[in-house]
Amino acid sequence: MYLILLSVFFPILSGLFLLIRYRMPLAKEKKNTDRKTLLTLTGCFLVITVLLCAAARSTAGNSFTLFYLTKTLPICFKIDEVGVLFSLLSSVVLPCAGFFSFEYMKHEEREGRYYGYYMIMFGVLNGLCFAGNLITFYLFFELLTLSSMPLVLHNGSREAIMAGLKYLFYSLCGAYGALYGIYFVCQNSDTLAFTAGGILKTSSVSQHGEFLLFTAFVMILGFGVKAGMFPMHAWLPTAHPVAPAPASAVLSAVIVKAGVLAICRIVYYVFGTGFLNDTWVQTVWIILTLVTVFMGSMLAYREPVLKKRLAYSTVSQISYILFGLAVMDADSLTGSLLHVLAHGFIKATLFLCAGAIIYKTGKTRVDELRGIGKEMPLTMWCYTFVSLGLIGIPPTGGFISKWYLSVGSLKSGLPIFSVLGPVILLISALLTAGYLLPLTINGFFPGADYDYTKLQKQEPCKLMTVPILFMTVLSLLIGLFPDAVTDYLANIVSAVL
Amino acid sequence: MNFICNFPFFSILLSLFSGTVCSILPAKAAKAVNRIVILTTGILSAVLLVYLLDTGESFIYRMGHFPAPWGNEIRAGVLEAGMALFFCVIMYLSMAGGAHKLYGEVVESKHNLYYILVNLLLSSLLALIYTNDMFTAYVFVEINTISACGLIMIRQVGRTIEAAVRYMIMSLLGSGLLLFGLCIMYDLTGHLLMSNIKESVSLLVVTGEYQIPLIVSVALMCIGLCIKSALFPFHAWLPDAYGYSTVSSAAILSSLVSKGYIFLLIKMIYRVIGFDIFNSTRIIDMLFVFGLMGMIFGSLSAIKENDIRRMIAFSSVAQIGYIYMGFGIGTQTGMVASIFHILSHAATKSLLFIAAIGLTDVSGGSRRFVDLTGAAYRNKWAGVAFTVGSLSMVGVPLFSGFISKLLFAQAAVQVEGKMLASLIVLGISTVLNAIYFMKTVIRIYTSTQEDAYAGITFKSMKAYAVVLLFFILLNVILGVSSQPIVDMIEQGLVMFA
Amino acid sequence: MVITVILIPIIAGILVPALPFRKRWLKEVFLETAVVVNSILVWYLLLHHSDSTFLLAHFTGNLNISFHVDGMSMVFAGLVSFLWPFATLYAFEYMTKENHENVFFLFYTLTYGVTLGIAFAANLLTMYFFYELLTLVTVPLVMHTLTREAVLASRKYFYYSLGGAAFAFIGLIMIIVYGSTTAFIPGGVLDVDKIGEQTNILLLVYVMAFMGFGVKAAVCPFNSWLPQAGVAPTPVTALLHAVAVVKSGAFAIIRLTYYSFGADFLRGTWAQTVVMGIVMFTTVYGCSRAVKETHIKRRLAYSTISNLSYILFGVTIMTPLGLVGALSHLVFHAFMKISSFFCAGAVMHQTRRHYVHELNGLGYKMPCVFGIFTVSSLALMGVPGLAGFISKWNLATAAAASGTPLAWGGIACLLVSALLTAIYMLGMVVRAFFPGKDFDYDTVADAEDPGWKMLLPLFVFTVFIVLFGLRSQPLVNFFYDVAGGIL
Repeated sequence: MYLILLSVFFPILSGLFLLIRYRMPLAKEKKNTDRKTLLTLTGCFLVITVLLCAAARSTAGNSFTLFYLTKTLPICFKIDEVGVLFSLLSSVVLPCAGFFSFEYMKHEEREGRYYGYYMIMFGVLNGLCFAGNLITFYLFFELLTLSSMPLVLHNGSREAIMAGLKYLFYSLCGAYGALYGIYFVCQNSDTLAFTAGGILKTSSVSQHGEFLLFTAFVMILGFGVKAGMFPMHAWLPTAHPVAPAPASAVLSAVIVKAGVLAICRIVYYVFGTGFLNDTWVQTVWIILTLVTVFMGSMLAYREPVLKKRLAYSTVSQISYILFGLAVMDADSLTGSLLHVLAHGFIKATLFLCAGAIIYKTGKTRVDELRGIGKEMPLTMWCYTFVSLGLIGIPPTGGFISKWYLSVGSLKSGLPIFSVLGPVILLISALLTAGYLLPLTINGFFPGADYDYTKLQKQEPCKLMTVPILFMTVLSLLIGLFPDAVTDYLANIVSAVL
Repeated sequence: MNFICNFPFFSILLSLFSGTVCSILPAKAAKAVNRIVILTTGILSAVLLVYLLDTGESFIYRMGHFPAPWGNEIRAGVLEAGMALFFCVIMYLSMAGGAHKLYGEVVESKHNLYYILVNLLLSSLLALIYTNDMFTAYVFVEINTISACGLIMIRQVGRTIEAAVRYMIMSLLGSGLLLFGLCIMYDLTGHLLMSNIKESVSLLVVTGEYQIPLIVSVALMCIGLCIKSALFPFHAWLPDAYGYSTVSSAAILSSLVSKGYIFLLIKMIYRVIGFDIFNSTRIIDMLFVFGLMGMIFGSLSAIKENDIRRMIAFSSVAQIGYIYMGFGIGTQTGMVASIFHILSHAATKSLLFIAAIGLTDVSGGSRRFVDLTGAAYRNKWAGVAFTVGSLSMVGVPLFSGFISKLLFAQAAVQVEGKMLASLIVLGISTVLNAIYFMKTVIRIYTSTQEDAYAGITFKSMKAYAVVLLFFILLNVILGVSSQPIVDMIEQGLVMFA
Repeated sequence: MVITVILIPIIAGILVPALPFRKRWLKEVFLETAVVVNSILVWYLLLHHSDSTFLLAHFTGNLNISFHVDGMSMVFAGLVSFLWPFATLYAFEYMTKENHENVFFLFYTLTYGVTLGIAFAANLLTMYFFYELLTLVTVPLVMHTLTREAVLASRKYFYYSLGGAAFAFIGLIMIIVYGSTTAFIPGGVLDVDKIGEQTNILLLVYVMAFMGFGVKAAVCPFNSWLPQAGVAPTPVTALLHAVAVVKSGAFAIIRLTYYSFGADFLRGTWAQTVVMGIVMFTTVYGCSRAVKETHIKRRLAYSTISNLSYILFGVTIMTPLGLVGALSHLVFHAFMKISSFFCAGAVMHQTRRHYVHELNGLGYKMPCVFGIFTVSSLALMGVPGLAGFISKWNLATAAAASGTPLAWGGIACLLVSALLTAIYMLGMVVRAFFPGKDFDYDTVADAEDPGWKMLLPLFVFTVFIVLFGLRSQPLVNFFYDVAGGIL
């Protein structure tokens, strides 16, 4: 019990401490010493939080109620398999990106604020993963939006502030849509606690079935905003690129997954697949995900700015996961959850690579980056490996997850979509190759007219390369030894289906 | 017969003769005589009222002990005595409150003429109240008209002449119609005494003879009195007459003269035609409709007005509309409400006129709203009094206007067909009242940066302030302990029948 | 006892200009003592109330002015008497930069008594009486600065309020005629035998009376007086135009709906549909106007318009649960809105800034004020853990449970307006804390947090916002009792 609370509240409190302690910009004359203490503090906090998380995860099955908001609204926490999976992702990506930012943020102002919100966000993410019922989940979902918004508008340019606000309002819009559903779920169930297989009262299902379907749809759409699902995806390509690169990495790899987690929770733990299977909700949802997959890839393909391209890629890839969830088949669900991990590591690495490039060269557009492979070979090798993973070339993690997704889809026996789904996934994979690999190709093979005299090695320092490397390895490991993960996922799948 | 039964006769004669006496007295003495006469008649009426309340029944007083049809009769009941008392009070207060203006506005030589007219007016009002004979009533209606005309004209400035001529024409038209009606009635029944006419009329109704002439006669008399009491749309003469005459005249005209005619109409309804017979004609529907229209259009004209006196005058049109609406409702309670409103409006309207003059005096004599800005700070008593009067007019609880509104509404609710119309118009008219009265109140409490006009000290206008105080008291008494008065009116109406 | 608590503020108010205070602090001590003593008396009265009705005076016939203490009056009187001492404290510091202090405090304190009169009124007539009085005593407060703007605003306020009362008056008449009594009785007082064929007319009158009282509660289309009245000094806008006056309107509607006409009579009728539709529209309308508005106080005033309609939405659900929702929002919104208004007032008082775009970067110079402002913004948005979430939860679950499809749409309106709330409130917060890259911090060099008299109320309110958010159960249970007619 205390472990969960600690893993949630320790980072939040430490973040608040940082925020208050480093309220004003660092004084110029003492900047170096001040900065050192700040970084040391943040580093310690990150490590402690990761340890706390690990400890909390080890107490699986543990659940408790903190207190009651109202008679029917307990704030309660529970550690279950899905929560552990998502928490694993965040407690890898957040510290990696955090250490990366130590170097990356060197020249930015107001680092205290950045790390403060970063820590708060970490705590909130833990709360989100360990939330035991819908209302606790909603609480942390809202807080997540609020605590991640300052990261988006961190650099303070007008563009960033507008993007931050856009992010905020899209997210809130989605959250409120979800809240609409929560009201009715509360009305039509005895409890709000997440239970595999759903919590709806059978009497309500027969009475208000149609309306509940509508609510389910509204909730999926609402939480889908966070996951960048069409038609509410527009914030993502705006907000992710303007944040500092490590923050974009976290946003793209972890925060959007909060939307995935939310949809996973409501579909499998609140409404139940029995209620949603073979309904118009499922059909419409699948259509939306497929549209998003295709559209995201297309837009990414056309996008010249690297970080924006990656953001569009996120739009597309998250909908892979959502597609898997929507099919509601054992294999596709496995594929989805696996892709959560795979995409998380890969996308974080991609953004960190992009960050390293920007940090070193200041170039943002893909066509400016000819020969970059020669300048930053290690970074670009990592980039290439994870790109292959995202495209889905064996033996990377992406291949396994996409394999499961397609198999599940074909097996599901849905009319049209069982075939159309994999086809679109394949097309999108081709497009993925189309938008990711040019950088590798141009980077390593700049062409005959490339001026090698200007070439200079500018590999970034270890604080940047080690996290990138670490996560690249992780993503490869998933692909090489998928059984460890899939066995674990089998527990979840058998429980909810 | 008790000696007190002579009082009505005494008071009529007293005021009539004092009028004649005044013509040979110097102005100051005339003023004193006038005051004393009003006081005396007031006391006489009060004693009479107490006596009547005590005995609980009305009496008929034959002048010279000639029986009908030759003799002339006076009748006194609670309602008559109460009304007489009330008229005396208002008249005294109005005279006292406007006395200081008389010197400025009326030529010195005409002062005693003024008092003659006032005394004549009083006698005619008393006669209208007490008489039991239609022809006597007609005679005093004419006396009333003439003296009222004189009161308007006595301030010989610009528009008063025009106003007086207008008033004269309209009034004569009204009394002409009254006379026509009376003639027809006399033809039909052969009587002039009210009680005798009533007997014949009820006989005619039973036998079904002369239906149309009867209706025509009643209608003519009604229209005649409506014109004289300025029911919409016959109100064209009113704003000028009230707006430009000297303040005492305006107060007396608006609160007493028109009320005298209305009282005569009530008397006619009850004592000449019979309440039930009157209600079975369509005339009351006409009165109802014109009453409602008066309420709206009177207020609308008042809103457009830019001159405080004319605004108050137009407000009278609306208030007269209320009274006729009460008639039009056609029930006993409606009638009670109307009679109460006669009292309440008389008390409030004279207060407003007197207070308004105090405000214009400290604004350089200008009556335009722009110049009145901040007047309430310069003349505090007038400001407070005007506010009280306005609130009463709008119908704020604590003041008399609220009670009459309450009574009207309660009466209206009991009649199905007229309920909604009267309630809604009542609401709208309150809104309109609020608009023009509150506009003025706020205007007079808005201080100007530079004080253009000098303020007034208490010493210079002790009498004025005391009069206002009495008016306010009267309003509050009517508003707070209205029950005895309403009981008295009900008792009086019972005696009427 | 009841009459005492109504009279103390009235007398104290009248004494302010009458007594010759040599020093300002003497006056402050006098006023604060009077208000605090009165509040303590009120709370004593609430905790030890008897069920008897105190008859003050007969008005006419069967109409009388009388007072009693029941559940509803406990909620409203408790709320008002809790907030008033703090608001007065705040006003002391705020008014140092304004003129005509005596007149201000005279009417400000008078209003306290009149508001309690509304809360303790035992019948519709008494409530109507104090309702009108409330208009009269608050107009001078709106007019206070005597600028042209203020005069226009007060004029409008006057018209609207009196006009609204005129239509509420029709409702009063209907209850007098068709009810068995005018007293407030849970479940309504309509006499079934008397109604007969008149149901539709009664419903029409209910709608009119609803809109009439709704004028004070700023129901669209009668809302435009409220933002304009924002020209009044902040203690007035905060306490009166976010709590006392406007909540009197909502309170009167609750009385009218649940204690006079009776929710059972109205539920499922076209009248319910109409009023619910109107308040649903107002929730969204108020918020969207707030988003467009750039003047801070006017923006908050529009927000009040929207939030008042939340309360009314709860009322129009016409179930006990709906009433619980309405009551919780009535109380919680008071804390949230007064807190945000006081923050706005503190900014205006300290820096003379009135517009949203002038807030840039102030968050760092006035951390307390803006911290509290952030909390109240989040609470208004309905972030879980703060008061606003609980009341919205109660409202929405009541609507969901009511089974009326329109009410389900109403929840959507609530959420849309919550989103808009986020836009206009967080817009300000973001400006204050994230002024942007090129912001010149010298422009806010002179700004600083205000003194303790202003900060103390703010802190207290914030504590309560959080407290209600986390531990509202006892209070909500109490609301259940009130709504169930037990108290």
